[in-house]
Amino acid sequence: MSIPKLSDYKDVVGRDVVGELYTLASHVGNRSIKMVNSTAVGGGVAEMLHRVVPLLNELGIETGWEVIKGGADFFDITKAFHNALQGKEEHFEQQVFKTYLAYNEMNYQEMSFDEDLIVIHDPQPAALIHWQKKRKNKWVWRCHIDMSHPNQQVWDFLRSYVELYDAAIFSSPLFSPQLKIPQYRFYPAIDPLADKNRELDDDYVTSVMEKYEIPRDKPIVTQISRYDPWKDPVGVIQAFKMARRHVDCRLLMVGDKAADDPEAEKILAQVNEAAGDDPDIKIIFLTHSIPTEINAFQRASDIVLQKSIREGFALTVSEALWKYRPVIGGAVGGIPAQIIHGYTGMLVHSVEGASLQIRTLLQQAELAKRLGQNGHQRVKDEFLITTLLKRYLLLLLALDHPGKSTILLD
Amino acid sequence: MRVFQFYSSASLEKLTGRKAHNLDELLELVKTCSSSSIFFHTFSAFRKLREAQTPYTNDFAVWIMRHLSEEALAEKLLAIDLAEYNTIESLRSRIVELLESYRRENPSLYEREATAPFYLYSLVRFVYLTDKFAYNLSSFRQLLDSISIDSLYYHFIESRLETQLETDDFSNWMQENPDYKELADRIRKIDMNIHTLVELRVRIGEIIDEYL
Repeated sequence: MSIPKLSDYKDVVGRDVVGELYTLASHVGNRSIKMVNSTAVGGGVAEMLHRVVPLLNELGIETGWEVIKGGADFFDITKAFHNALQGKEEHFEQQVFKTYLAYNEMNYQEMSFDEDLIVIHDPQPAALIHWQKKRKNKWVWRCHIDMSHPNQQVWDFLRSYVELYDAAIFSSPLFSPQLKIPQYRFYPAIDPLADKNRELDDDYVTSVMEKYEIPRDKPIVTQISRYDPWKDPVGVIQAFKMARRHVDCRLLMVGDKAADDPEAEKILAQVNEAAGDDPDIKIIFLTHSIPTEINAFQRASDIVLQKSIREGFALTVSEALWKYRPVIGGAVGGIPAQIIHGYTGMLVHSVEGASLQIRTLLQQAELAKRLGQNGHQRVKDEFLITTLLKRYLLLLLALDHPGKSTILLD
Repeated sequence: MRVFQFYSSASLEKLTGRKAHNLDELLELVKTCSSSSIFFHTFSAFRKLREAQTPYTNDFAVWIMRHLSEEALAEKLLAIDLAEYNTIESLRSRIVELLESYRRENPSLYEREATAPFYLYSLVRFVYLTDKFAYNLSSFRQLLDSISIDSLYYHFIESRLETQLETDDFSNWMQENPDYKELADRIRKIDMNIHTLVELRVRIGEIIDEYL
């Protein structure tokens, strides 16, 4: 499939939504953006930039993307910083910070920053701004990680650079620390035309279910998530077994494991033990998932679960809601932003709660359908790439008028 | 009739770092926050929650229901009809009045800790001219189907904060023509609390069709 153009989104989000983007872009005028991050492939940020950059260009905003370079030592450090900023206890020697800064300085010398807006993604390139002594353009730091309980040593170091920026962007107030600079909220977004989300032929969905030998003779309840204790895969199995005493159904669990997680094998063993030899439970362990197959699993499901007990934003919820699936989600992280309990899905706090909602939604088809429809609408309003494009356009305008709360554009 | 210029609005959400853990703290936030914070948690929230078919008109009610399970207070807040307010300050006063009167009846409740904090947002709001102009009722009707939902919401609900009128822009414009006074009156009476914006567009179109 060819790379979708902005015009292709008209059929998905509506002609008026795409038209609005062009109207806003005309108010923005000829402007330029440079995105900077630390990887061109893998991970949600790179995946998102691959779509956002060409679409912003289509809107007339000249947008480039550069990836910083570094040796294994640099990326080991930034990986450790990442974990520390998400709360991991660890003490770092001063040499670590010097190495981090040396790589940032090297990258700064090799790059140019002439665009109207420089968007630096995540902590790896955050110190680049230090060498940009005099600037006429705006710099914004986009943080995609949960910084609600950062390791103080790393955060004290990083904050001195972050507060040089004109603004910072976080995905949720839950994830943001106190800062002296303005903070904007950008929800992460899914691409409705990406392989993971686009419409699929029923025949393809059927072929995927046959490939993985998943019978469709009973309703299917699915959780697609990494096998990690915070996604509570064992709790999912317990909830399913409790629900099945009342309603016949199958459980499908699909996931991979974090490569750097030594606990992963242990969790998978616990999952297999909890499942036992139950013929209604299918556990699929993927090393490399195929987006269209994940899409097919979601579309073949009667209910999608994301029963996390600790979570980042969990865009898997939006992916399922976009496909009109009723979703049962743990009330943690970014899930309550996507699920308004009882209207766009069901929030749960326990195994028992999840079990009850599985029973309810499998036996109340009208309610399940309504949740799916409302959930689809909620995603359309807030969590699609078209909304993200709009936020970037508005950010360019907002940075032109610092301190103003209402801006009239004639 | 003068030319009707379609505007639209958009907003960029800002985090303030301020939060409330109980109703006393929420009341303090409502009293002291910027008008753009009030706008975010009412007009802006309503625009989005409406389309997901929730019965909520504002974030305060959602939080009180979800994290304090104080249904009666939430009901009072969600009964606020935003169409009745043409200034943010009058809306803020109403919310404060409801929170204070409920406290008089339930003083101990106000110190009870919620299951999650209320995060105060602010926003930057943009109001902008679109490339759509209606010269008469017929061209207005044609454009109605192509304007964005944001534009529809702006003219039907939000613009009264600019005009300070107690009516929407559409009926205000239509009533300039003596032949359309009844039409204007019918448009004005559409209850936004029972329609999504998509349904509102359809409803307005149906009513106009009767006069063309």
